[in-house]
Amino acid sequence: MLDSGEFRALFPNRPRPPGGPGRTVADLREEMERLESEGEIIIHRIRPENRPVRVTNLVGRTKQIPTDRLWHHKSCGQCGNIPGYPSSLLWLMNATHRTYLNEPHQTSCTAWNYHGTATSNPVALAAVAARNFHRAYETDHFPLIHCGTSFGDYKEMRKLLIEDGEVRKKVRDILHRIGRELVLPEEIVHYSEWLHVMAPEIVARQTHDMRGIVAAVHEPCHYYKMVPEDAVYDERVYAGQRPAVPTGILLALGATVADYSTWYDCCGFGFRHILAEREFSRSFANERKIRPMVEEAHADVAITSDTGCVTTLDKSQWIGKTHGFSYTLPVLADVQFAALALGADPYRIVQLHWHAVSAEDLMTKMRIDWKTAKAEFREYLQRLKNGGSPELLYPAREPIERFFAINKGQVPPEPDPGPSPSSKAVPTDAKGGSP
Amino acid sequence: MSFVASSLQRVRPSTGEDPAPTPEIEITGRRELTSDERELAGTIFAEFRADPRYHRFVLGCLNCGECTSGCPAARFYDFSPREMVQVAQNGDATTLWDAMQEKIWACCQCYSCTMRCRFGNDIGGIINVMRELSVVHGLESTRRALAPFRRTFTLLGTIGTQLAPDMIQPEFFRDWGPAATATEADWGVPLEILRKAIPVDVLQTTRAAWEVSVQTSLELFRIYEEAGVLDMLRAVDPDLVEMLVDLVEERREEFEAARERYRNELERMRGPVATFPG
Repeated sequence: MLDSGEFRALFPNRPRPPGGPGRTVADLREEMERLESEGEIIIHRIRPENRPVRVTNLVGRTKQIPTDRLWHHKSCGQCGNIPGYPSSLLWLMNATHRTYLNEPHQTSCTAWNYHGTATSNPVALAAVAARNFHRAYETDHFPLIHCGTSFGDYKEMRKLLIEDGEVRKKVRDILHRIGRELVLPEEIVHYSEWLHVMAPEIVARQTHDMRGIVAAVHEPCHYYKMVPEDAVYDERVYAGQRPAVPTGILLALGATVADYSTWYDCCGFGFRHILAEREFSRSFANERKIRPMVEEAHADVAITSDTGCVTTLDKSQWIGKTHGFSYTLPVLADVQFAALALGADPYRIVQLHWHAVSAEDLMTKMRIDWKTAKAEFREYLQRLKNGGSPELLYPAREPIERFFAINKGQVPPEPDPGPSPSSKAVPTDAKGGSP
Repeated sequence: MSFVASSLQRVRPSTGEDPAPTPEIEITGRRELTSDERELAGTIFAEFRADPRYHRFVLGCLNCGECTSGCPAARFYDFSPREMVQVAQNGDATTLWDAMQEKIWACCQCYSCTMRCRFGNDIGGIINVMRELSVVHGLESTRRALAPFRRTFTLLGTIGTQLAPDMIQPEFFRDWGPAATATEADWGVPLEILRKAIPVDVLQTTRAAWEVSVQTSLELFRIYEEAGVLDMLRAVDPDLVEMLVDLVEERREEFEAARERYRNELERMRGPVATFPG
């Protein structure tokens, strides 16, 4: 077996595309600096106030993960079907005293629709990405991408906008027509990377012992198979041979992560299949993921870090009974697992009642008093039904924001005149120290 | 090389055991194309080879099959990413046409093949180019494949998110079981209250994944107009586009009325509201 250094060395040696418009660049960041100096783009840089932490990507490059002053780029599926996913993340940010903006002025990345139907094109996808990048920039908060598919798509679109001048011009023209500029973030950051680098602070606040819990990890495809070189790897997780997220946070919290033979397989979501052809999605999910997770890994819980994966693995289990699959394996996002470990309310915050497979036995094993929490949640629902005000994790938006993408006092930073060591953030490494 | 026109119906188990008896499925193979189809196939082939992504995504193929060995769709469908690369690289107009009828819609877009390919082919990407062309030219098989996505298109065009909590209706998701999602039957309160109990203000809605400001929705629609997405959609579902245009017009009127209502506040502010829609 290759060690991680040998494995990574394979990638720079891959063949380069021979032609086509634009040019393929070896280091996107260097090219971004050049484009900015020529007035083609604005780079949204990670600054000291973003409190970045340094990690390593697949090819050994340092990637900075901002941990503070973040702009939440929400996920359609998480917000629509698994609302405990974003609420657990925001709750963890509150618990670790991080600041953020979660506002109504974000569009979908539109990439689920694209990968399901192809009713879009590179210019549209790139313009949508750049529209949201600019919105984050003008609020002076760094974008944090919740969805694995948005993360993969935005990595691709940033690369396209850097390499293809023709697409860049078309996108810039469209952006000008909606009053926006072409801004590209210095890093494309997935929330699970934030969770990974926040592990020391999260573990310091842990209230529930997870050492008795066996987790099977499903690695979301669009996190690490699209633009693979930008996923985070860590020598301490699978010796750096598989992505570090979401496994790293589970190990940090004390859970046992058990391996299984089909770890590389997708979940069966399929983008169009989950809506139009679920006989594939459920067959694949049960046969290739849930069964090995239970039979081989003997897992108490399946943990993943993407929207479609939670949905497919969770919702597909019930129908499996018709083919003799009697598994009831709870499926959680890594942030939900971490929030439970820190004592978050399983219903008000982690919102487990939206999941198809019950997590009550799992919570019993975690020594969480879910019965009391459930009874209190029922009472809370009745209070809301009777006109009570809902509890919120941050102050509610203002009425004018129903219509306008206003700035509430944020001032976007001036474009950086160029690389200057003194103007750069000084990140710590993932272990918590300065490099 | 022959193709199966009805490949998407040929779902089979992957256990390695003898499959359960399935109804006889007609395998049509390659049929003669009409002269109109032949002409369209030639146009599509030329556009496919001229697409800027073609030379970036198709770099060569040794037929090693590593892509197919890790492909989820290949386990259940008459589909193979190796074959798609061969079609892209060596095929003629008719071969490409055949592959674009149904096979391209079997792909799961997981990019497992792309990551494994030793040539660095972007196989998921090249399938997307084929899919886009099938939309642009309004192929009949594409119209059928996309029909279940009308609500998604409508949400994206008018609001800006792809899903809404009220989309999980029991009659459409019966296979997800009685506990598929939180319901009034389990919790004694309607969906509106269950959503209100999420401690995130923009999620307290049932008609979209999150509440999107009208300005933001209109920006997305403008991008779709300018980048040609509406024209693509028009080729497969013209009625839907007409409906979208009408609905967005109402959103624009709502936006203009709000601009008047909030005139004083807006005059005190600087930022994108001053320039949109430009």
